[in-house]
Amino acid sequence: MIEILLFFIGASLLLYVLLGGSDYGAGILEMLPAGKLREAQKHLINEAMGPVWEANHVWLIVLVVILFMGFPGVFVPLMTYLHVPMLALLVGIVIRGATFTFRHYDAVQEEKSQRVYTWLFSGSSIWTAFWLGVIAASLGRGLIDVETRDVWSAYFAPWIGWYPAAVGVFVICIFAFLASVYLIGETEEPELRRLFLRRAAVFNVLVVLAGGLVFAASYGEKENLPAVFFAHPLTLGVLVVATGLFVALWVFVQKHRTALTRIVAAGQVTLILLGWWLLYAPNALITAQGKINFYEAAAPEATLWQLVLALLVGSCFIFPSLFFLLKVFKTKGREEF
Amino acid sequence: MDDLLAARSTMAFSLGFHIIFASVGMTMPFFMSAAHYLHLKTGKPVYLELTKMWLKGVAILFAVGAVSGTVLSFELGLLWPEFMKHAMPVIGMPFSWEGTAFFLEAVAIGLFLYGWERMNKWVHWATGLVVGIAGFSSGIFVVAVNGWMNAPTGFDWVDGAAVNIDPVAAMFNEAWLHQTMHMQVAAMQAVGFAVAGIHAALYLKGKAKEFHLRALKIALTFGAVASLLQPLVGHFAGQRVAELQPAKLAAMEGHFKTSKQAPLWIGGIPDVETQEMKWGIPLPGMLSFIAYDDVNAEVRGLEEWPREEWPPVVITHVAFQIMVGIGGVLAVLSLLFFYFWRKGNFPPWFLWTLVFSVPLGMIAIEAGWTVTEVGRQPWIVYGVMKTKDAVTPVPGMQYHFYLFLVLYFLLAVATVWLFKRQIQVAQKRLEDVL
Ligand code: HDD
Ligand code: HEM
Ligand code: HEM
Repeated sequence: MIEILLFFIGASLLLYVLLGGSDYGAGILEMLPAGKLREAQKHLINEAMGPVWEANHVWLIVLVVILFMGFPGVFVPLMTYLHVPMLALLVGIVIRGATFTFRHYDAVQEEKSQRVYTWLFSGSSIWTAFWLGVIAASLGRGLIDVETRDVWSAYFAPWIGWYPAAVGVFVICIFAFLASVYLIGETEEPELRRLFLRRAAVFNVLVVLAGGLVFAASYGEKENLPAVFFAHPLTLGVLVVATGLFVALWVFVQKHRTALTRIVAAGQVTLILLGWWLLYAPNALITAQGKINFYEAAAPEATLWQLVLALLVGSCFIFPSLFFLLKVFKTKGREEF
Repeated sequence: MDDLLAARSTMAFSLGFHIIFASVGMTMPFFMSAAHYLHLKTGKPVYLELTKMWLKGVAILFAVGAVSGTVLSFELGLLWPEFMKHAMPVIGMPFSWEGTAFFLEAVAIGLFLYGWERMNKWVHWATGLVVGIAGFSSGIFVVAVNGWMNAPTGFDWVDGAAVNIDPVAAMFNEAWLHQTMHMQVAAMQAVGFAVAGIHAALYLKGKAKEFHLRALKIALTFGAVASLLQPLVGHFAGQRVAELQPAKLAAMEGHFKTSKQAPLWIGGIPDVETQEMKWGIPLPGMLSFIAYDDVNAEVRGLEEWPREEWPPVVITHVAFQIMVGIGGVLAVLSLLFFYFWRKGNFPPWFLWTLVFSVPLGMIAIEAGWTVTEVGRQPWIVYGVMKTKDAVTPVPGMQYHFYLFLVLYFLLAVATVWLFKRQIQVAQKRLEDVL
């Protein structure tokens, strides 16, 4: 049963990163100069994100609910010792969601206020993506110390360091990469397509560089990443395949194969998450006192059954309606009132 | 400000903020569906304009509801880790169903907002209704969690841990029915009156009168029916509290000494030192009657509990008075509304009263939650876990509080400002098309 829940945790995390991540990426892209394509880009992003951002956002809530109901032993130390980065994340989530909607639904579409919304929206997209990375990195560092009473080592040391910062940057690059690839296929405008193509190429390079940065930064850590990554044939394989897929990606881009391009990019991100998962599973959290795995941290049997039931029944509603949503909106020619 | 107080203030503030948007999210979709239905049935463009006007307003509120709700789902863990650790295995279930409801809601919102020309018109109409149904059910699930905090069931508490967990029994705890009924009706009346008041103001300004009158009637039909039901539901809630949490009832009424023919107070400030009510008007025997259907019944006073288990008496009492007072006012206004509707004309003083009633329902909701939450103190889970034992060990909680105070203040200002702009633009548009 725990395996079923682990599957749902993995699935919602993956979907949040792929779908929510592209939304973040769209915000990040708007930070970059786009010259006279600025308005066209904004318009495209509004149209692509507008109908789906709420649904994409709910994956995060599903993840949190699974954690606090099913795995309080993971949720509680996470929210206690990573209180500060969690707060930073929340501030970003609030500003991002609010300004994206405000920008679209402000009845008076004037230059000045629109610029403020856009600036806040893309600034908070970068900010939030960064903290997501910091939190993800802090889970496995072994610095969460559930016994210390010292304020610094309890609430700051677990997430401060070059390595979490590097993962934060890596996440920003990945999200921007996903969004660029995704947006190429959203438009027929040759100029816009070229813009996103160029950005996909830039972020492709940046993802690789940031990945290198993560590996380099991990040298100050208890266990450095290259050592653990290369020690295991599976994780090594995942890394090689993910990198190799860049070739396929650019072949498909050249041939204008939108769907295949997206699948490959999504596949690469999936592989990165898979590598991370393989590295730690079934541990959820590595503390100074030892590893906390999902099996030990789980709620009692009766609770888990209810959770599985809710997720399975929920899936029967959610997936068909989600497909319907995508079908309605991803067919060409949108107009809106 | 010590850390416990800061954590409690943060929780109260975040929930108090969220509940406003949540109430709108639970009820407005039904108003829109009604207007939309009238358009599809009658073909009149006014109703379409109305649906779209409401929809644009609600889109902003939805987003604020979604982000402030997300904050809450993290904050429960950030503020009350010890509570979450023990409570969620028992009462997490409604939250997981709530998650499902959110999903349906989010998908349906996407379809409804952007699907105007893309779907069969009745399918499109139905997606709007689904938004309402999903929002309404998510409200029920969440309030059931709060019901469990007031009347914990579905587990045995052995050596500081919950065993023999039964999540289904926990969800259908003794308090879930009266609390969810009362909350849902409250949201309906608060939002109904708020919307009607805004349209009354626009009507009085004198442009697009016909339009605003129709809007007012739709919104206030919901609001008035709810307001007439509410005293009954509230009475039911009071009786349940008398049974489940007699100390809360005693604090609500400032009832210090156990007595028969206990009085109900109108107004008044309880004085905790002298254990007397000051400046209130007593209605002898009415509290006994309301709590137990018998004017001679004995009602236990606060003296029966050790002093450190008293909830803050003044806050609870005053909040209760505010809520019930507003409930009375809204019920009277509702009767007047139906009366004037039948007569076929609303006098200006009545419309002005509606304008001034815009915030009343929301104030009553905030007051009602204060009764429920403050009246439960010092317990976070009634009789099982004290609030002070549940709070996070993280120091400096006041900064967390200030941070969200500022953030939500700015968000509230922005929302109001956007709303004003929307109304101005919509008003202009109405003059052109109607
Ligand atoms: C528009 C809002 C509104 C109005 C007019 C009323 N209430 Fe209320 N009341 C609420 C909104 C509310 C609420 C915010 O929805 C609460 C908080 C928790 C809950 O379940 O409902 C609540 C709680 C609440 C409780 C505590 C329940 C508990 O702790 O379990 C009682 C006893 C009452 N109410 C009684 C009344 C009575 C006798 C009213 C007479 C008209 C009344 N309320 C009007
Ligand atoms: C499922 C719903 C709810 C949950 C799980 C919940 C949980 C909590 C918790 C854990 C606390 C801290 C302990 C305490 O001080 O009482 C609290 C306090 C509080 N909550 Fe709730 N609450 C819920 C609903 C609400 C709502 C909707 C409001 C709306 C206004 C609200 C208002 C308050 C207030 C005013 C306090 C502060 C009490 C005090 O300072 O004494 N609660 N709640
Ligand atoms: C009485 C208390 C509450 C009621 C009636 C209520 C109801 C609602 C409703 C109707 C919505 C949809 C709002 C909208 O889309 O505008 C919503 C959103 C949300 N609520 Fe609350 N809520 C309450 C308290 C809470 C609490 C305590 C939590 C945290 C655990 C919470 C978490 C959320 C979340 C995460 C969302 C966003 C969902 C989304 O993205 O669509 N709510 N709530």
